[in-house]
Amino acid sequence: MGGPAYDCLTNPLGAVRFSFGNALSSGYDPASSHGKDWGVVDLFRHYFSDESAISQVPILDSSSIKWVQPNTLVRFRGMIQDMLGNEFYAGAYKDGSTWRTNKYSDVSQFPDGPSSETQVWERRLLYCVPVPGRNQWTECSSIELKNRFLDLTGQNREKRARVDEEMTDSMDSNTLEAGLNGSPFKKMKAGEGTSSASESQVPRTDNAPQSSALPPATSTDSLPCLVKIYDSPESDLKLNDVVEFLGVLTFDPNTMMDMDSPGDNTDDFSEAESVQRPSGKVPRLHCLIHRKLETQHFLHGSSLSTELKSPQMFKEIRESLMKHLTGLLGNDHIAAELLLLHLLSKVHGRVDNVAVGKLSLNLTHLNKESMSIFGTQLRDALKSLLPFTQSIPLTIEYLNTASLGPKKDYGTNRLVPGVLQIADGTHLILDETELQPGTLNSVGVENANLLKNLLECQKVEYDFQYYKMEMATDAQMLIFSEGKSNIMPADMVLPFQPSQVNPLQVIAPETAQAWRCYLATCKSLSHSIGQELQQVLENDLVAARQTDRSLGSQDLSRLLTMARMMSVSYGETTLSLEHWQMVLELERLRKERLK
Amino acid sequence: MASDSPPANTNDGPSSPGENASSPIGNTYSSPSSLRSRRRARSSTPSQFATPPPPSRLGVPNSTPPTSRPSAARSNRPATPSHTDEPPPSSDDGGEDGADDATPTFVWGTNISVQDVKSAIEMFVKHFREAKESSDDLFREGKYMASIRKVIEIEGEWIDVDAYDVFDYDPDLYNKMVRYPLEVLAIFDIVLMDIVSSIDRLFEKHVQVRIFNLRSSTSMRNLNPSDIEKMISLKGMIIRSSSIIPEIREAVFRCLVCGYFSDPIIVDRGKISEPPTCLKQECLAKNSMTLVHNRCRFADKQIVRLQETPDEIPEGGTPHTVSLLLHDKLVDNGKPGDRIEVTGIYRAMTVRVGPAHRTVKSVFKTYIDCLHIKKASKTRMAAEDPMDVDNSLRRVDEDVELDEEKLKKFEELSKQPDIYEKLARSLAPNIWELDDVKKGLLCQLFGGNALNLASGANFRGDINILLVGDPGTSKSQLLQYIHKLSPRGIYTSGRGSSAVGLTAYVAKDPETGETVLESGALVLSDRGICCIDEFDKMSDSARSMLHEVMEQQTVSIAKAGIIASLNARTSVLACANPSGSRYNPRLSVIENIHLPPTLLSRFDLIYLILDKPDEQTDRRLAKHIVALHFENAESAQEEALDITTLTSYVSYARKNIHPKLSDEAAEELTRGYVELRKAGKFAGSSKKVITATPRQIESLIRLSEALARMRFSEWVEKHDVEEAFRLLRVAMQQSATDHATGTIDMDLINTGVSASERMRRDILVSSIRDITLEKMQIGGSAMRLSELLEELKKHGGNINTEIHLHDVRKAVGTLASEGFLVTEGDRIKRI
Repeated sequence: MGGPAYDCLTNPLGAVRFSFGNALSSGYDPASSHGKDWGVVDLFRHYFSDESAISQVPILDSSSIKWVQPNTLVRFRGMIQDMLGNEFYAGAYKDGSTWRTNKYSDVSQFPDGPSSETQVWERRLLYCVPVPGRNQWTECSSIELKNRFLDLTGQNREKRARVDEEMTDSMDSNTLEAGLNGSPFKKMKAGEGTSSASESQVPRTDNAPQSSALPPATSTDSLPCLVKIYDSPESDLKLNDVVEFLGVLTFDPNTMMDMDSPGDNTDDFSEAESVQRPSGKVPRLHCLIHRKLETQHFLHGSSLSTELKSPQMFKEIRESLMKHLTGLLGNDHIAAELLLLHLLSKVHGRVDNVAVGKLSLNLTHLNKESMSIFGTQLRDALKSLLPFTQSIPLTIEYLNTASLGPKKDYGTNRLVPGVLQIADGTHLILDETELQPGTLNSVGVENANLLKNLLECQKVEYDFQYYKMEMATDAQMLIFSEGKSNIMPADMVLPFQPSQVNPLQVIAPETAQAWRCYLATCKSLSHSIGQELQQVLENDLVAARQTDRSLGSQDLSRLLTMARMMSVSYGETTLSLEHWQMVLELERLRKERLK
Repeated sequence: MASDSPPANTNDGPSSPGENASSPIGNTYSSPSSLRSRRRARSSTPSQFATPPPPSRLGVPNSTPPTSRPSAARSNRPATPSHTDEPPPSSDDGGEDGADDATPTFVWGTNISVQDVKSAIEMFVKHFREAKESSDDLFREGKYMASIRKVIEIEGEWIDVDAYDVFDYDPDLYNKMVRYPLEVLAIFDIVLMDIVSSIDRLFEKHVQVRIFNLRSSTSMRNLNPSDIEKMISLKGMIIRSSSIIPEIREAVFRCLVCGYFSDPIIVDRGKISEPPTCLKQECLAKNSMTLVHNRCRFADKQIVRLQETPDEIPEGGTPHTVSLLLHDKLVDNGKPGDRIEVTGIYRAMTVRVGPAHRTVKSVFKTYIDCLHIKKASKTRMAAEDPMDVDNSLRRVDEDVELDEEKLKKFEELSKQPDIYEKLARSLAPNIWELDDVKKGLLCQLFGGNALNLASGANFRGDINILLVGDPGTSKSQLLQYIHKLSPRGIYTSGRGSSAVGLTAYVAKDPETGETVLESGALVLSDRGICCIDEFDKMSDSARSMLHEVMEQQTVSIAKAGIIASLNARTSVLACANPSGSRYNPRLSVIENIHLPPTLLSRFDLIYLILDKPDEQTDRRLAKHIVALHFENAESAQEEALDITTLTSYVSYARKNIHPKLSDEAAEELTRGYVELRKAGKFAGSSKKVITATPRQIESLIRLSEALARMRFSEWVEKHDVEEAFRLLRVAMQQSATDHATGTIDMDLINTGVSASERMRRDILVSSIRDITLEKMQIGGSAMRLSELLEELKKHGGNINTEIHLHDVRKAVGTLASEGFLVTEGDRIKRI
């Protein structure tokens, strides 16, 4: 499809203009279209229909930002952290007698003043950040792309300059040059406190409050991105979704001017403007196509997932993973089994306040010493297995000071992220072993409530100051504590009984890859139950309740969740009697230990 | 030059960069669609074009010039056409002065004739009468003529016009007004001024029109480019309001050289051009003019940010916000946290790249030019007090929000024969079983009728419910659910509540030092439901405060120089754990709950939620959970109403339905009550068991009224009463069953000791007396209690139940107090 007229990869705007011209000639009327797509999306969708084409597009992150050029195509993988509402822009205007479009670009191309006819269209602004707690292995390396890309742009420079000239009248060559050297981004990065030595030399220019609006939780090399969405229904993208956006990268040549203008923190429309302003320091992406990311997308060797077809495969990988986990947990087999089930859990249904499918695990009988051995090992292991992990130390001091829940700051009109604004499927480790007696202040109580609510209902309250809004969150929570945690009442409580400390194993990258793939695949399996077995389950549950009155509906619910996970861990989509009995046995062993 | 001149600086004063502050239009060319709709008529009145708000809409062409203002406007006019992007001025002036001209002038780009609109408005203002005004006062003035007179009398500045009235009178005018508000409102203002000056030639103020109550209101989320320059109305919550910005309207300059004062110069497109030279012919000094602040005219301006209310936000979204521009009288009409409904014009403007640049960004800023603000009540369900409104002429009832369609749906729902069951099902659908408890809670939500007799006697309509139960029987969940659903619900936990926190307390205002009354939870939940969790863990003093609230429905305070009685017409929904954390069926309810009987009797319904081992229930629970996990979880509750429908259904019923007892129902009530009282007196019972008290009959009336309300029925029917009896009986059977005799025994609740229990004790005491008389001598050897117990058991005869040591100890205590014997530790001695 990449015809001679344009190159989707390096000159996407050219492609947009070209197709706009085509659409015009085939009867597209900008005046009545409200900016509806004229075929650009299909064009790009077709061009990037397979994975290999997509992998040609550089991923925008803190390292690639230095060499990626504006007005080229980039990918950004991140979580939608805030929605900044809609933006009206002059979508199309009449240049003489022909229509031109501003879609997918920032800079106004009004010739001079509004003497021509213009059409106002709208687009949506999303503020995206790299997924909190993202682990190393999910990142793609773009080194080879970089080299290729620099070559490419070197060649194309002449041509590009010409193209740009036409479209960016207002952008003086200085800034363009600066853009190529990446300095505007440098500046922006400096504003976020990047610790890279060379860059920290650049003086911080932001005295404005927006620095506080930037995510404190995300790590130092995080790179937020303002994504502008066109032609996509609102329900498509939700807060905290993990999405890959593919689109045109731009930056604002007027950033410097905006920042230089003094004292702009006023009551006037500056609030409206503050929505705009940080974007000067944040790269912007005019999204052409986007897709939601699953864990599979982060696995580079996608070949494996095809191999995971046979039950035998599942069984083998399960065994090797179990062995690994058992080793990590000092040969505590039950703990390893439960941990595996826990790792496979996800919320697959909600009925009012009940989140079906959550399975949090509380390992007790851990103290500071054993934590330093097993806890760290486990943490590292989970980091290499799961895409997003975070650990929260439950200390009085942390609870009293941390901002766990996201909060709306009306001063900047931003949602200030909290630690608990996380993508679905994030794994949380809560370490209660360090908890000492002390006093919780109001923040601490609030935070403890947030955690408890997350654990019980899988919901996080977002504070909008005048009211609170509950956001459904799907987090796997693993709790380490000395006794049974009362602050965090987990679904499964197991006294941890390691028999020995195993030396740290070195895992081959392929094995790790296989395990990741296994976990991701199992998690995404659908699941059902046969009619007869349903009867068996009911009978068993009734019997269990008859013998032990203390069993509540939550316990029964947990048993079923465990059964589901057990079955899924063998790659099966229907529950079998065997797996159900395995769960009952596991539960029996667990109960025994609790005594 | 102009932007550096003094006026601009003055404007910036408290606020902000460049021209943003001076006027939103400062860095604006004009909103894009006004390009399209640039008018030939009226549009060239500079101020009108430059500043959107009502005050400057005024062209004031034909009215008597009260101030120098119109003349200034005139003098300013020649400057306007010279502006670059002004349309050819050819017909401009014609349209300007010539509303009466023969040649029709049109609103630019449309076929709306200015004259037509003008006459339509005149007709409307002069002749509109409300439909309910009867025909015989045909000669009375129309509604709006009357309000114009009123405005003149009080020297007001605006007239509120109900958009419904406009629509009723002239739908075409309404449509024009909504589609081209800038133009039509300008004409409207002119018409008003004409009328005003024809009534009172000396009236100086500009009267503006404020439209409100549009027929359709948009949601913030759905605002899109096609709404620009249209009149819209939307609801939201104020989250931030700026300080009041003085916006300059007319500037006066003084020459520093000769002291000459210029004529007032009117703001043109957010700019004031400072005269480059002194205007006095004799002086003509260059760059000598300076702004004289205190002779300039300023207007109030305020920028407010409005945010979507939580109920409009779709799942997984964050709230949208929009800026509002308020002028003059609208300023400070709402404060952050208020929910308001705004009528205004949606505008977009371009943003300049920088203050010194002519280039504009391709992005527009949007805001709403407010015409009218209406405050909405903050409660989730209708509060019954009349809304404290703005100056609207028509009281807008809240049920306007319930559109016809919804009402119809409710009517239909209420006609369904199983509406009662359906409502009960919809209540907390995820909580299993407990059907009767849910029905009771439903009654509480709907509530009975409160009665205030002329004699001063009040009968509360609120139903109080107590849930007592084993841990883990989802009491708290029920409470949370009701709290979510109820109007002004307050949720407190008994453990953390103090008496003053629940009722009201007196505090010293830190600033003024005055004593002020701060309301507590019960007062705050006036006309709502106060949910109290962990009722048993509440301190006694806090609980005793509840006595008054639950029967008299007031809170009286007498301290620190304040004696007050506050309304607390609240239903109380409390839940408690049994004293021994699990319900002990061997003990009475009182002993289990540990609540004073006086308080207990104030609850209409007391439910015991016990976890009884029952295979049937278990099986259903198991089935439910299995279904939850393996089937489509939603399918289980398709029949139920969703929570929003339920809420509005309840609030509608509470507000509009006031059922009365039918004769038949009253008869049934009497009969049932008598029966209930009789029930205690079964054959040969010498023990007097009171089964029902007058409190119960009041409860029954309330319950049956609530049941009638559910059906939207104005009459309490016989079956309502029957159901109320059933509910009461179900609740009482659980709570007031005397476990010894199995009969309903209200004594159990009222005094804490059942009649049969009392009898048993008497028997025990007398038999101990017998034994001691028989076995012991006065002053003789002591006897162990255990021995006594053995004796009693041997004796057996007239005691048919098991005897425990503590029973014996109690009985011995009674005897000791009679002076019959003395106890020495474990032994007793006869005296």
